[in-house]
Amino acid sequence: MTEFLQIVLDGLMTGVVYAALALALGVVFQGTGMLNLSQGELAVVAAYIAWACTQAGIPIWPAIAIAIVASAVLGAVIYHGVVRFVPPHREDSLMTLGVTLLLGLNAIVSMVWGTDPRAFPSPFGTWVANFGGLRLTSQQLGGVALVGATMLVMAVVFTRTTFGLRLRAVAQNPRSAAYLGLRSGLWLSAGWAAACAVGAVAGIVAAPTAGLSPAMMTVPLLMALAAANIGGISSRVGVVVGGLLIGLLTAIGGRYIPGLGGDLNVVFAFAAVIAVILVKPAGLFGRESVVRA
Amino acid sequence: MSAAAARETQAVPAPIVRLNEVGISFRGVRALDGISFDVPQGGVTAVIGPNGAGKTTLFNCISGIYRHEGEIELAGSPIRHLRAHQRASAGIARTFQTPTLLDDEDVFANVLVGTHAWTTTGFTGVLIGTPRARREEREARDVAWHHLTAVGLASLADRPAGALAHADRRRVEIARALAAQPRILMLDEPAAGLSGTESDELIELVREQGQATGMTSLLVEHDVALVMRTASWIAVLDAGKLLAVGEPRAVRENPAVIAAYLGADAEVVA
Repeated sequence: MTEFLQIVLDGLMTGVVYAALALALGVVFQGTGMLNLSQGELAVVAAYIAWACTQAGIPIWPAIAIAIVASAVLGAVIYHGVVRFVPPHREDSLMTLGVTLLLGLNAIVSMVWGTDPRAFPSPFGTWVANFGGLRLTSQQLGGVALVGATMLVMAVVFTRTTFGLRLRAVAQNPRSAAYLGLRSGLWLSAGWAAACAVGAVAGIVAAPTAGLSPAMMTVPLLMALAAANIGGISSRVGVVVGGLLIGLLTAIGGRYIPGLGGDLNVVFAFAAVIAVILVKPAGLFGRESVVRA
Repeated sequence: MSAAAARETQAVPAPIVRLNEVGISFRGVRALDGISFDVPQGGVTAVIGPNGAGKTTLFNCISGIYRHEGEIELAGSPIRHLRAHQRASAGIARTFQTPTLLDDEDVFANVLVGTHAWTTTGFTGVLIGTPRARREEREARDVAWHHLTAVGLASLADRPAGALAHADRRRVEIARALAAQPRILMLDEPAAGLSGTESDELIELVREQGQATGMTSLLVEHDVALVMRTASWIAVLDAGKLLAVGEPRAVRENPAVIAAYLGADAEVVA
């Protein structure tokens, strides 16, 4: 029983990273209709920026803050410089753009920092806590706390502030929002910035465990895509729940079904996606359609 | 009707909107051609004409959806160079034939977001919640409640807009437009889908708002009887051209308007 609970806890801890990345995917999709396949690479860039700052002698927490802000700025620049020129109804072009950004960012990271994995220091220390036989590392607890706090801040900003209302208005219908005096491009840039900041936290939390490398977020991105499908990409709550479910499923399935451990446990995520698509195509919390321009 | 002729047939001191040779083509089809007339300050001005006359296209030009030829002035200032969000901030609000609400948001949020047009706090101020931003937000909430109550939907404030019936959606859209405190409110077929009583109440609400604030209403409407009861100034379009402009009585008796649009109905509404 203790082993099972340990696996559940480990799965939830991993699922938090998927949830954060899936939330970033959902925010961008709602605003611009783009499934941002480069979201994982943007998280990798953030982790490398934080790492580079620590190499330059900057303490880890200021380095993380710099990386999050830099990611937000990068997200806004990518939206303003490229994405805004593609009409939301051109799904093919948006998909191509996502792949292009993924490959481009991956190449840039590889050129600047190389492809060898690097050790990323945990900002939460290296102690281990025991709760009745359950083992939790400081990295797990700190990671959950950081991602949870980030998502909480995002939730408050999105749902409880004037800023959030205007952001939601533009995300739901950019054209309609323009007739209310809202400058859609500016607010959608803010949406991209927020998404990239959340994605950056996911990357920084994943890096100490996964090891910093250009391919570090490839599997988490796949998991996040699965989470977005399961929870419903149109629902911010749904993508978070989807991320946690994927974390649980892959941890439990990988442990108890022989031959499907390690990265092979991704098969459970996609089995779950197929099951949800067959039963509720919009996802467990999703609407049948997303209103956008 | 030429621009000069149109100006001669109307005597409008200090118009709120002045259209000067406004035109637009879509793939070679002339949707609007040299439209020139003035919209008087205050009251209700109607734009009427048969289907395909260019009424909604004209609204789209004024609100900045389409880039158009010619010039449009708002209270004496040219606005051709302004984009849609800038025109909204300059005081132009509009509704659509099919209400375009934020279906995921509740009714109050839909009206509240309309207040953005007059709030002055910038993007950063709203993000960090400066004292000025908080003060404006309180004012905005009061304004939104006022207009939501005025359209009779205060009891539905918490309901998702996507769950409303058509008539209520129309009311929410108008409350949102009024919450923008516009100088000119453009209503595109506001009576569509409403009963006679409902549309009369809605138009009366808009008229009262206009009298209280000096707001001008510009109305596209197929219900000729409603137009004749409501409007103090009428422009008639036909096939993208201005057919007539003036007071309701003059327009109603205009032979060209009768031939192109009013027909036998002219007797009914006279």
